[in-house]
Amino acid sequence: MSVLKTPAEAPVPAPPPARSGAPGSAARVWRTVRTSRPAAIGLAIVAVHIVIALLAPLLTPYHPTTGDAAHALLGPSADHWAGTDQYGRDVLTRVLYGGRYALGVSVTATLLTLALGTVLGCAAALRGGWLDDLLMRVLDAVLSIPAILVLLVIVTALGTGSGVIVLAIGVICVPQVVRVVRGAALAVVPQDYVTAARARGEGTWAILRREVLPNITDVVCVEFAMRASWVVLLISSLSFLGFGADPPTPDWGLMVSENRTAITVVPMASLAPIIALATLVVGLNLAADGLSKAWGVDRIREGS
Amino acid sequence: MSAIVSVAGLGVAYRSAGRDVPVVDDVSFELPPGRTLALVGESGSGKSTVAATLLGHLRYGSRLTGGTVRVDGQDVFALPARELRRLRGGAVAMIAQNAGQALTPSMRVGRQIAEAGGDVPVTDLLEQVRLPRPAELVRRYPHELSGGQQQRVAIAMAIATRPKVLVLDEPTTGLDVLTQRSVLDLVGSLRDELGLAAVLVSHDLGVVARMADEVCVLRSGRVVEAAPTRRLFAAPADPYTRRLLASVPRLTDTGLALVGEDGTREVRPKRAVPDDAAPSVDVRDVTIDYGSSRAVDGVSFQVRRGEVLALVGESGSGKSTLAWALAGLRAPSGGAMTHETGDTAGDLGASARRRPLALRRKIQLVFQNADTSLNPRRSVGDAVRRPLRFFGAAGSRDDAAARARRLISDVRLDPDFADRLPAQLSGGQRQRIGIARALAGEPDVLIADEITTALDVSVQADVLRLLDDLRRERDLACLFISHDLAVVRGIADRVVVLRHGVVVEEGPTDAVFADPGHPYTRQLMAAALEPDPDAVAPAGAADDWADAAEAGAVWDDLGEAHRVRRWRSADG
Repeated sequence: MSVLKTPAEAPVPAPPPARSGAPGSAARVWRTVRTSRPAAIGLAIVAVHIVIALLAPLLTPYHPTTGDAAHALLGPSADHWAGTDQYGRDVLTRVLYGGRYALGVSVTATLLTLALGTVLGCAAALRGGWLDDLLMRVLDAVLSIPAILVLLVIVTALGTGSGVIVLAIGVICVPQVVRVVRGAALAVVPQDYVTAARARGEGTWAILRREVLPNITDVVCVEFAMRASWVVLLISSLSFLGFGADPPTPDWGLMVSENRTAITVVPMASLAPIIALATLVVGLNLAADGLSKAWGVDRIREGS
Repeated sequence: MSAIVSVAGLGVAYRSAGRDVPVVDDVSFELPPGRTLALVGESGSGKSTVAATLLGHLRYGSRLTGGTVRVDGQDVFALPARELRRLRGGAVAMIAQNAGQALTPSMRVGRQIAEAGGDVPVTDLLEQVRLPRPAELVRRYPHELSGGQQQRVAIAMAIATRPKVLVLDEPTTGLDVLTQRSVLDLVGSLRDELGLAAVLVSHDLGVVARMADEVCVLRSGRVVEAAPTRRLFAAPADPYTRRLLASVPRLTDTGLALVGEDGTREVRPKRAVPDDAAPSVDVRDVTIDYGSSRAVDGVSFQVRRGEVLALVGESGSGKSTLAWALAGLRAPSGGAMTHETGDTAGDLGASARRRPLALRRKIQLVFQNADTSLNPRRSVGDAVRRPLRFFGAAGSRDDAAARARRLISDVRLDPDFADRLPAQLSGGQRQRIGIARALAGEPDVLIADEITTALDVSVQADVLRLLDDLRRERDLACLFISHDLAVVRGIADRVVVLRHGVVVEEGPTDAVFADPGHPYTRQLMAAALEPDPDAVAPAGAADDWADAAEAGAVWDDLGEAHRVRRWRSADG
């Protein structure tokens, strides 16, 4: 009988129980997964990738970096399902291990970006005034520089360690996250329960955590899935260009770059990491789309 | 004369969780040309759904389960889409509740009206809805008009095609009393000029008594009672109608009415505030500015412990701004506000964050809209626990939980509600939780900002009753902000009338209501609608007047703390 005012009132026939039902957000995610096919498929693909990355040593008898020169450049066979590369390393093993770097760095980078972006976006929406103006102008300036350019400049200046890459990703992605989260938070801030917290004299941080964040979690979750797929691609491009993972680390981008010269001899050595990368990105995108539809988060409206 | 609208056995239902939920069930009525029928009921009674079927509209997900709706001889739901469109603009027109949202913001008023079709020139239409300077007005955008003017534009659009039937869905809800009165007068005279039949949807029995020839009372989608207006108000047959009527506060009530199951009403006398009651809030010469415009201009008043002081005025009079300033959400630009507890005085000029915790908890605000005043993602128990912990009233987690349950039962709710989310509560229950949250700080002063405006009359009566009980039990000083004079009459001990941020009259409630000294107060009272079709407006309400206050001679004292800002007749 009463309609809940949520920050994202998109004309999506979202199941109303998802908004007014049990308080547990885990229960809400589970319900979404059951009702939304794209979200379920996407999350399943991502889960498979994570499991493979974690269990890689158990899944393959070979070592990812030590090769056997006698067995270089082999085609697919019973021993080497995806063949071997020019150093005689098993391609499948390297693909299985390759997820560790891609997932590890991307997830860390995305999590950090999202945490920082969410806090900044909420704070800008909550405090408003000069803080908001200043922050948004600075971020606009950062946004106007092409991402890969910023990435290359930072990596060239500070080296290619994972820490540096995480930092560089942060510089690139935080402005985008801030814009989206600020848009969502602006719809929550004028609500009376935020005013009530202000009248109690609560601090900005407490208002953020207790009143604003719980009402924009859906936006943040969707943003995570979307941003992660983007970051995975960006990091792989960086490795491909030779600025990411150092050889002989098993990494998908690096593998494509190493093996592209031999693509006519052993196509699987290039194709396998590409397939792995593509499925992960498609999985993340499906999850983002499914979740945003199921939770009524309009990505265009939120300004991304 | 045959009926122009005839609804027979109408049923509407929507599907939820695999089964049909009826919204409207077997509703029938007939409306002859030139007459007005009111559909009355509380929220969820299906009155708006019935009204929308006259235009062949059903809400998304709803469907017709039976019956027919005939307008001007045509079966609305059997019409092909093209004919239905012609019917909507032509024979039936609708005026929606919120004109501000019904008008396209990016389109000039004139073009918008012209778009509605019809052969009547736009300026003639604007003249017809009594808007001044129509030639100038057509070039304005909707946001440049006041709420009342927007509603008039919406009416002009509705009558542009000279319809035969007008559907009015809560046409004046959200407008203040004076604007409401003038919009209703306009609709009434247009109806007579153009010979329109009208279907009026309203929860406000005062509006219904004034406008309708016949009334149809709906409850949970069914017709409870249908009768000519005069008969219904004089001798309601159904107990539900009787209860509904009895719940409406009257201008003549000297206290809060208690309504029995069978609709009997008994007015509980107000408890007199002892003369030596200690003042709790002292506001002196406060001015508040929004940029260059002055919202509150030199207002002074005192609220004592155990007393309800009502701030009355139309929208824009600065009453909510004052409440926000007292709660520390808006800094005053001049004057002094202090909170007094016997020997110490706390300065309320500072914003909430700069006030000491002990002072902050003493002044608490209850919001108008209970839907947005509770965090939808947190349980109501959490909403009450937070201030308990924050203000340090409860030491441990368990203590806070126990006290929150006690507070929830203090506002006459089941303590087990603590685990529910706001969406699982009704509007009245949410407003009670809002009050419980305010009480958690153990305040001396409660600011109630239009807390019953969004509630149904029967729920309003309960919430007012609760507020009255609580201030008796806890000796609260209560600042009650309202534009509804009948509500104020029942609950307030003293009244302050604000107009454009200036106090024009103040005094004990009974004295002000018995003998309003300022023409503005009289105007407000005349505009208040009583649930009585035979009520006549007091004479002398429309006097033209001008402010005559001068430095040193601002007030005319009428005795017993009743004083009126000086004024003079404009023509005299």
